[in-house]
Amino acid sequence: MNKSSLQYVLSGIFLVLGFIAVFGLSNYLERNRVSLPEAYQDEDLTLQGKRLKGYVLGAEGLIADWYWMQSLQYLGSKIIGSKNESFDLGDLRPLNPRLLYPYLDNSTELDPKLMAAYTFGATILPAIDTSKAIDLTEKGIANNPDSWNLYHLLGYIHWRNKDYEKAAQAYDTGMKLPGAPSFMRIMAASMRTQGGSRETARVMYKQMLESDPDAQTKTNAEFRLKELDALDDLDALNASLKTFTERQGRCASGWSELLPLLQNVKLPEGRDFLIDSSDSVVDPTGIPYSIDRSTCKAQIGPESTLPPS
Amino acid sequence: MKVRSNSALKTILTIALNTFREAVRDRVLYNLVIFVLLIIACAILLGDLTDGNEARTIVNIGLNAILIFGAFIAIFVGVSLVSKEIEKRTVFAIFAKPVRRSEFVLGKYLGLCLTLLVNVVVMGVGVSLALVYVKGGSLIYSIWGSILLIFLELTILTAVAILFSSFSSPALSALLTFFTFVIGHMSASLRDLAAGLGSKFAVFFFEVIYYLLPNLAHYSFRTEAANGMVPTSPMIGGAVIYAIVYSSILLLVSALIFRRRNFK
Repeated sequence: MNKSSLQYVLSGIFLVLGFIAVFGLSNYLERNRVSLPEAYQDEDLTLQGKRLKGYVLGAEGLIADWYWMQSLQYLGSKIIGSKNESFDLGDLRPLNPRLLYPYLDNSTELDPKLMAAYTFGATILPAIDTSKAIDLTEKGIANNPDSWNLYHLLGYIHWRNKDYEKAAQAYDTGMKLPGAPSFMRIMAASMRTQGGSRETARVMYKQMLESDPDAQTKTNAEFRLKELDALDDLDALNASLKTFTERQGRCASGWSELLPLLQNVKLPEGRDFLIDSSDSVVDPTGIPYSIDRSTCKAQIGPESTLPPS
Repeated sequence: MKVRSNSALKTILTIALNTFREAVRDRVLYNLVIFVLLIIACAILLGDLTDGNEARTIVNIGLNAILIFGAFIAIFVGVSLVSKEIEKRTVFAIFAKPVRRSEFVLGKYLGLCLTLLVNVVVMGVGVSLALVYVKGGSLIYSIWGSILLIFLELTILTAVAILFSSFSSPALSALLTFFTFVIGHMSASLRDLAAGLGSKFAVFFFEVIYYLLPNLAHYSFRTEAANGMVPTSPMIGGAVIYAIVYSSILLLVSALIFRRRNFK
């Protein structure tokens, strides 16, 4: 081997060893990184969207997207990092996602037409802070006065807040906009007549599932529909348990005893009970319902992701 | 007279084509590879990050990348267009022929504009293909209006780079052109800010800046394009005329400075 070849070989060995050392050092530094105290992790946003406007070389839309993606990641990290394994989608306050609104606010300040941010905020923020959800959606309406969907979302927020008159007003205004579906008219009427009913809720979430382009909203609506189905199931199961108790003079020991009675039960929307291989009645997430022996009432199984009944 | 104008046009076009060939030889268009990789990565990865709304983010990233890549080319190639010829002494060979200095400046400018046009069009096609991939085809129509505005902005920036390079070093020219790019985007906001300060001097100063420096905010239509909006004909027409007028002023000043320049 001549001198030049030897130099190449030595250089090659040095490069390989160098990269191995870099790989090891990188992992070492990652392991030994001092992590921020929990209180620092939610540091207030330094920059405000409205102040950035006009000073970012026309890249407002790109930065708006970044803030919006941050809001998704932020909520996701809060859920993943939650010590409490089961959480209620209807009340996210225990997660303390206090930066969600500032992220969405910045995002919509920089791009007032970013509909995905308004939709995401309108469906998630009510579980954290209803007034912020209303603020964001009303800002969306001010910036996009022709969007009937924002009125639908505003109606949804008021409906969740049990303010059926304001919900009806939102649907009344939204239904007059060009392109508004007939569903808006139906919702305006049903808010006034049966605002708190389960049927109204079902129509609301079905509409979100079918027409909303946002994947997060669809997931939320799908979960809510499962929750409503479970409530219908529980009503029917409790009625059957009562009949069984009246006939037998005791509470049913398990679902298999109740199956003959359940075969005659009609669930809303033409659904049938879901029965697993061990003859247990399961909820829409596939987890068996349980029977509370002391009260002889059906309830959501402890392993289910649905909120307890 | 007509013979002279035909000959001048031929000279300008020859210099422009040579400038384009030189840019290709200098691998300026290699930035397209980085751009394509960026867009492919966005198309594949953004689905999860944006919760299914990746099309508008691809438009935002794509259009901003077109501007940034184009601005870097306009600044760094623009400032070296003339200085490289002087440094290599090829300028003597050129001026030994019947070539006017103004023709040389204009030819160099048009050559770089052609390079930028190819660059911008290829990048635009890349963004369009990425949109087709993520099923965001409805946005393809809206991005091309914004891409045209970006190209016009880059032609102004190229003229700025040539102007600065006609009287200062390449490094200083690049810095001054970059500052012009930044302030050009902010001039309207700075003027509004000054109006709120209440200082007469600030109002006057930023008013001068607003009209003296190129108002590049006229060419920012990227956020709107991501929302499916298309620039109107009066907007496009005004932007084209503004770019032609402003670039002509800068090139005229550059040619005047260049005419008085001693290469020895």
